[in-house]
Amino acid sequence: MSEPTTSSAANGAAKVRFSPRRVWTLALATMTQLIRMKILAFLVVFCLLAAGAGFAFSVINPEQQLNLLKSVTLGALQIFSIVIGVVSTALLLPKDMEDRTLYTILSKPVPRFDYLLGKLLGVLMLIGGGLIVMDAVLSLILWMRQSMLFEDAVAHMRLEKMDSPEAVAQVREIVARQGLTWNLHWAVWAIFLKATVVTTVALLLSSIASSTLFTIVITFCVTIIGHGESLIREFFFQPYLSSTMGRAASFILAAIVPDLAQFDIVDSVVSGEIVPWGVVYDMTGIAALYVTVYLFVTHLLFVEKEL
Amino acid sequence: MADTPAVSVQHLTKVFKGTLVKGAFRAVHDLSLEVKAGEVYGLIGPNGSGKSTTMKAILGLLKPTEGHTSIFGVPSTEVSSRHSVGFLPENPYFYKHLTGRETLRFYGSLCGMSGTRLKDRAEEMLVLTGLEDAATRRVGGYSKGMLQRLGLAQALIHDPRLLVLDEPTAGVDPAGSRKIRDLIIGFRERGITVLVTSHLLEQMQEVCDRVGIMAHGRMVREGRLEDLIAVENQTEMVLENATPELLAKISDLVAKEGGGSKILHSGHPRTTLERLFLEATNESKKP
Repeated sequence: MSEPTTSSAANGAAKVRFSPRRVWTLALATMTQLIRMKILAFLVVFCLLAAGAGFAFSVINPEQQLNLLKSVTLGALQIFSIVIGVVSTALLLPKDMEDRTLYTILSKPVPRFDYLLGKLLGVLMLIGGGLIVMDAVLSLILWMRQSMLFEDAVAHMRLEKMDSPEAVAQVREIVARQGLTWNLHWAVWAIFLKATVVTTVALLLSSIASSTLFTIVITFCVTIIGHGESLIREFFFQPYLSSTMGRAASFILAAIVPDLAQFDIVDSVVSGEIVPWGVVYDMTGIAALYVTVYLFVTHLLFVEKEL
Repeated sequence: MADTPAVSVQHLTKVFKGTLVKGAFRAVHDLSLEVKAGEVYGLIGPNGSGKSTTMKAILGLLKPTEGHTSIFGVPSTEVSSRHSVGFLPENPYFYKHLTGRETLRFYGSLCGMSGTRLKDRAEEMLVLTGLEDAATRRVGGYSKGMLQRLGLAQALIHDPRLLVLDEPTAGVDPAGSRKIRDLIIGFRERGITVLVTSHLLEQMQEVCDRVGIMAHGRMVREGRLEDLIAVENQTEMVLENATPELLAKISDLVAKEGGGSKILHSGHPRTTLERLFLEATNESKKP
């Protein structure tokens, strides 16, 4: 196909390059849209209910109480950050197409990559903002709870005449380890990274899918499979246990599905283990790699999409 | 650059890939057209004739299967071609959570505008389209006519040289439709090129310099409006306050002249239903 028309450069029209400001405009509009849809309020209310539930069960000792509070709240944050990421992303792109808002945006000098990145960033800003608020609330609750539990435990020991300095120090150490530490923030960071990867998968799928339901269902399937990725890899590397077809399927799954178990540090944090800096760096790097690859593939698909 | 057409479509063919159930569909077939800078060009045709597909190809939203399109000489496939164009799609929707003013600032910001320039331009567009009173209302509560006018405002926000309007008066009441028509005439006076599609042929007749008629994905007629609609061997004469005697004299004169000349029709010219509606509704507003 010949191209007799001149290029933009030859014609004096400025080339349109990637613009962080344009991406920010799109991200802000996306986040505002989701906030006005009361999605963030829903997240906060649910997680506060979950935090309340952490107090509701009868437990034996302070360690269990703090464990339960962290476990229930972080679990709720994990589920809802993923649900919000997937549902928001799966809804927004098809809705823009259905309402023809996409036409008015892409008929402006807006590269498709800027649009995709703006949408993704908007959803992630919402999830990130929600997680920061919840991290602050959870930290406050945990700090108050650990102080109360420590005082209760010491009072109880005093009644039992078992309040030797060694025993009190031991209780303080247990409560401090299970209470508010930096580990809690790393757990929230890991939840954010996992939600980021899953949201990027949802964006990829919604750029090729024709229905929102398809995107949501397939993304949740990918999320479930992603948590068992190590099992798939084990299966793949045991050739005597599987057929060629099975191995091929395992290889494809392992290659395209993100290994979400890499971000599973919540259980360690709940049980009071220290999260090393190396693990945090690794998680962040792996998430950045997944997001870059998925976003690149999404761009390749979306740039060819006929609107 | 003065001779560079605002829009150039050359041998455009668009075939949509089929599925297992449905075969491929050829929406546009070897279409060529040019819109000169500063003119109002009407693209008309029945539903499914390929007008919207052509517009999308011009805007770079669709890739041609064959041929190419350009805007002021820049291929539509390049994002930079969209610096010069504003687009109003058919039945546009905008983010319902934004107000009219926020919507215009959003689109202006996408075009690289900022600060006072963006704010002033958004206000200017609100005034131009008569939406200044609804500027702080959320778009979700706008009527269809208001959405169309907001669509026009967003299309104009970055001061484009070309406006592409897909059915700008679809679903709008006659008064709103007239307002949009007047805006299009105003754009032409300001030197903005307009490419417009509409099913309201009478309105197209009022605003277009040239028209192209599409059917089955092909251009079947194209040219200046006067040339296309003139009936070469007929002459129209409209008289005001003519007496029956004068009309009789004219009839006699024509009959005496012979040579094949004859009066085909005589009677009171009719106003259009649109004009009648506008006059009646304007009268009802008077105290």
